[in-house]
Amino acid sequence: MTAPGAPKEAWTRVVQAFVLVALFIVLLAVTRVVPVLSNRAGTISAIGFLLLTGTLASELVEVVGLPHLSGYLLAGVVAGPHALKLIDHRTVEELSTVNALALALIAMEGGAQLRVEALQKGLRSLGWATLTQSTIVLVISGGVFIAARPFIPFLAPLSPLALAGVGLLWGALAVSRSPAATLGILAQTRAAGPVAEGTVTVVMSSNVVVAVLVAAALVLARPMIDPSASLSMREVQRLGYGLLASVAIGTTLGLVLAAYIRLVGKQLILVFVALGFGLTEMLRYMRFDPLLTFMVAGFVVQNLSRQGERLVESIARTGSVVYVVFFATAGAHVDLPLLRDLWPIALLLCAARGGSTWLASRLAARAAGDPPAVKTWGWAGLIAQAGLTLGIMTVVERDFPSFGAGFRALALSTVAINEMVGPVLFKLALDRSGESMKGPEPSLSSLTDNT
Amino acid sequence: MNAIWVLMGLLLLAYMGSFLVGGHAIRGIGLPSGAEYVVLGFLVGPGVLGLVERSTLHAFDPLANVALGWLIFVVGAMYGTTGERRVPIPRLVAGWLVTLFTGALVGGAVWLVLPWAAPALAPMDRILLAGGVGAAGSETTRYAVRWVVERHHASGPVSELIGELAEGDDLVPLLAVAVLFALPPADLAIPVPGWGLVGITVGVGVVLGAIAAALLGRTFSIAETWGVLFGVSLLGVGISERLELSTITTLFVLGLSLSILSPHRRALAAMLAPSERPVMLPALLLAGAHVDLGAASYLPFVIAAAVAARIFGKWLVGVGLLAVSRTTRPVGLRLGLGLLPAGALSMSIGLAFALRFQGAVGAVVLTAAAVITLLGEFVGPSSLRAALARLGETRDDAPASSRRAPGAAA
Repeated sequence: MTAPGAPKEAWTRVVQAFVLVALFIVLLAVTRVVPVLSNRAGTISAIGFLLLTGTLASELVEVVGLPHLSGYLLAGVVAGPHALKLIDHRTVEELSTVNALALALIAMEGGAQLRVEALQKGLRSLGWATLTQSTIVLVISGGVFIAARPFIPFLAPLSPLALAGVGLLWGALAVSRSPAATLGILAQTRAAGPVAEGTVTVVMSSNVVVAVLVAAALVLARPMIDPSASLSMREVQRLGYGLLASVAIGTTLGLVLAAYIRLVGKQLILVFVALGFGLTEMLRYMRFDPLLTFMVAGFVVQNLSRQGERLVESIARTGSVVYVVFFATAGAHVDLPLLRDLWPIALLLCAARGGSTWLASRLAARAAGDPPAVKTWGWAGLIAQAGLTLGIMTVVERDFPSFGAGFRALALSTVAINEMVGPVLFKLALDRSGESMKGPEPSLSSLTDNT
Repeated sequence: MNAIWVLMGLLLLAYMGSFLVGGHAIRGIGLPSGAEYVVLGFLVGPGVLGLVERSTLHAFDPLANVALGWLIFVVGAMYGTTGERRVPIPRLVAGWLVTLFTGALVGGAVWLVLPWAAPALAPMDRILLAGGVGAAGSETTRYAVRWVVERHHASGPVSELIGELAEGDDLVPLLAVAVLFALPPADLAIPVPGWGLVGITVGVGVVLGAIAAALLGRTFSIAETWGVLFGVSLLGVGISERLELSTITTLFVLGLSLSILSPHRRALAAMLAPSERPVMLPALLLAGAHVDLGAASYLPFVIAAAVAARIFGKWLVGVGLLAVSRTTRPVGLRLGLGLLPAGALSMSIGLAFALRFQGAVGAVVLTAAAVITLLGEFVGPSSLRAALARLGETRDDAPASSRRAPGAAA
């Protein structure tokens, strides 16, 4: 592999393509020799396989201008349980445990990308973007979802009020973004400029906005869907406690991390692993939001200490592993048969979401007086959806079992499209706006430095 | 104990291990073989205090396999080198012969004692037990030799000889493990003969090593390199485990192939060396926790035979060295005892057996490996130090600031 950013020779591409095919053949042969897994060997080989094939596929899709994330996703889709079946359903589920670590690191990096100065400078833009994205996308996406009722079988038995309730939930789901995709594209392109900064700010802060929106939608939708249920503020109250606690724990964690980096500063990767698995497990047990906690921790380290750059640099070193595993697993999750069945309606809903995101972005940019690049390309980084959306979808499925399965299937299909199209659009936006490769080169200062 | 707490404990150990490598904060702490972690694991494990239950322990089997794989991958990547220098081929061959001789003696002794101690034992189990204990009891750990050499500032022809013999002796027991793992009939859709499985064990390592070398190419990016190294090693572990082959042999061959085929051998060694100790300590702890003194009624006899044969074997090796090398003669027979330390490789082989053969066979091999490691710790380093001191190759008056930490890559 060549150094990041350097052009690659044709011979290197040939070797990469050959190795990619060889890896698929090797694992295909192994799965034929031992068709049934008697232990957890599948998970271990799946991580290794996805790491290698994801990295290789990302290098190869680069030739046609696609982002690395598309390569990771592609490797997961092809190897996954719905295509070549090299990775089975159980293994894909077990890989989700590994994703806890990936999400913790992604959230922490996301928080550390938010600088108070930038937030203050772009407060007007952020405010307008948050307002328009939350309202316009929710209303238009929910409205199109309701209008598409004749084509969505699970909506047929619902009363008009219940339909409106489900539409509200769909609208809230549509507002969610993918911090992982945003940061993954930025890690690859090393972009710097108003589009990159604006997108990071909106996507990371939308985590909190979406959490509130979803909780509010759940509270409002429940009595609309189930007439026997009454309007209960318990959900909102629980959310309030959860958010407050997550921020408090995240702040404490951030301060402790900053002190650690300053006083010890070694073996950060091990510390991240411990936090990623241990703290995530603890936060889930206490029903707090790990994503928000880690995001706040990253924000605190960046803005309340001088250790932000070291934190970002340390997390960035894990990028070659974290993003590949996370997105390749997401690719393996893509349910191709489901997508084949639902693609027309899923495409319609994605188009509605994309169109409303574009409209909201244009209006916000005009109102805030953003630079032309943001007016033109500000929407492109807000299309991708991934883990956060799937989490919301699971909550809806659990809370509304009468239509949960159908809702989940449709949501899975739209997320699959958005997670494939979103990164491509964002990279295109960064390339076209001239912001790619303007960030600092990754530090390769020392071979043996393992902090 | 909850699995998350166990994981946190293992990470804490890894963290401590990383500082031992650095050697700035806790200089000189720790035994050369890491036997104290085996004992700690045994104490907290189901055998004594029961803080970690057997079911929880089994939940960590995949992690233990990955840790073992990585450890041996690093060993393979740095095999046959001392620092920047390659061990001369004659010394490597001598190391193989010494290991083969000791292993055969230990395995033979166990083989002979089994019909008497365990008459009902199946023939295949007898082969696996004798072979497994023989493989685990064959090495002289390079960590102990480095520990003595570095702590006592030893330098001279005998220090060099012992160091190079220890650096080269990993190959034979790992190949033996590949053969032993291929012996029991595997549950494969396509029948493969035993020799074919050994070939696959080695072949997977070679292919993955070649893939890694091809991917790393001529230029070198650290960020991408870690992804490739993790990828090939995890894939190697997964494939071997799925085919019920020897994971540690595959990973050793993978590391060795990579170091031979890649032009970045030195850079890779510099990257990988610091990860060795952080992975080793949790692996030793897990190995210790798996130790089961009540695994079989014939366990004491197997251990007695293995220990006696190992002492005798190393003593004979010492005699051989006295006969061959004039420089070693003033040392006397103490040299053989100085070769007794066993460590990470022995415990890795023992743990690999315990993970692959979950029953009496695996438990007995692991327990024998643990006892051999502990015994080596009591006798070996002090004998080696005394032998080198007698030859005038140690300088205990050297300034402490110039000493290196135990376990640091030579």
